[in-house]
Amino acid sequence: MGDFFNTLLRPIELLVAWIMYGFHQAFTSIGLDPASGLAWGLSIIGLVIVMRAAMIPLFVKQINASRKMQMIQPELQKIQKKYKGKSDPESRQAMTQETMALYRKEGTNPFSSCLPILVQSPFFFGLFRVLNGLEKISTGDNEPIGPITQQVAGQAESATLFGAQLSDTFLSADNTATYIVTVILIILMSATTFTTQRQLMTKNMPASALDNPFAKQQKLIMYVMPVVFAVSGINFPIGVLLYWFTTNLWSMVQQFYVIRKMPAPGSAAEKALHERLAKRGKPIPGEAERKAAEAAEAEAAAERTRQRVQPKGKKRAKKKGPAGAATDKPVQGPTAPPGDAPTTGDQPTPADRAPGLDKAPRPAKAAGTAKSARTGKSARPGKAAQTEK
Amino acid sequence: MTFGQVAAKPLVWLVRAYQLVLSPLTPATCRYYPSCSAYAVTALSRHGLFRGTWLTIGRLGRCHPWTPGGVDHVPPLPGQPSDEELVARHIPHETTT
Repeated sequence: MGDFFNTLLRPIELLVAWIMYGFHQAFTSIGLDPASGLAWGLSIIGLVIVMRAAMIPLFVKQINASRKMQMIQPELQKIQKKYKGKSDPESRQAMTQETMALYRKEGTNPFSSCLPILVQSPFFFGLFRVLNGLEKISTGDNEPIGPITQQVAGQAESATLFGAQLSDTFLSADNTATYIVTVILIILMSATTFTTQRQLMTKNMPASALDNPFAKQQKLIMYVMPVVFAVSGINFPIGVLLYWFTTNLWSMVQQFYVIRKMPAPGSAAEKALHERLAKRGKPIPGEAERKAAEAAEAEAAAERTRQRVQPKGKKRAKKKGPAGAATDKPVQGPTAPPGDAPTTGDQPTPADRAPGLDKAPRPAKAAGTAKSARTGKSARPGKAAQTEK
Repeated sequence: MTFGQVAAKPLVWLVRAYQLVLSPLTPATCRYYPSCSAYAVTALSRHGLFRGTWLTIGRLGRCHPWTPGGVDHVPPLPGQPSDEELVARHIPHETTT
């Protein structure tokens, strides 16, 4: 088993070694002291940047997916409504299953898949083993790894960052600097991960999603996490902690960007984005759709309460003159039976239609929606608003 | 319990440890329901070490950014109802998120 693991990790160790060595060479060539902790520490950060940058396409894909998520909001809300207030595990499972089935049907998915984690973890192991093995390579007990020869390993191993060797662990070292640097790195790691999670929970989740057992469990975990970091952190070399912290920092910034640009529908972050857009006078994506859905809902409710109007013959209708033009509730044209009332969901609100009552801040947009609804090209209200400009 | 199911126990514990310790540190990622780790636990305890491992490898291979994802349950034992149906009908059964 151990041998199998070694052969599997060997190429990854080599890759890690070459990337780090490459960065180290680059930093040395611009004048950093090759034996300094700065040069080696920056090489580890460089490794993080290479790895995370390689995964940017996946990240872009996720952003595009969240764009499409806006489109399927009404259907998602239908599912959420169906399970509102039900917190038993069976209901939650059924709800998740329906939601996932919807994602598949619509060909969109807000999750990034398990591949990135699977790809990253061997690199983490690889780095761990390279850094952990530096001492043994420098003494000649272990084979050199690619460019990390006995001499290079010795140099890297003795490189210090604020007085702590990169290959030192809290448990094995007995100098104060290592203790302090480890503790600081563990605090930083916890802080970045905590902020990332907290940001997700408080800003990017609809209120409905916050009130279920899973979210509560997640919250508990958020507070237990620093303990996990502390326990594992004291076993890891400083270099690995530096790698870990940089990755967390990258994740935090990346998520901050996503939440700002593409917030989850119904979340506090979305509200903030809409306020920012409104301030700059830009159209709010999905707003027209939401309004239309609300209007359809109101229309349907009105339909239920309104008395059914007896269909009239053309002759009788003519006698009465133009009806409904001045009322605020849209009365159907004389010949149209009320059964044909708009249920398509793309109809403009009654307020948009009645001339005197138009208080909508962006009439151009409302008109765009109405127009598109009439012509039947309804799918993209945002686009309709753009063409109107 | 068959030999395969007993032999799978250590692996199930390993996945459970991942779910409890490591998974919470990362945001939700899996494009499937149940998630890959939940699938692994069910597959290993239902089909034993060999078929369970094989099924899990298959699922991990499927969970990449180019898949539409969706609902993907562990195949049931012969004569048993499918998990999809059990979940849809709100019948209690062991699955982890």
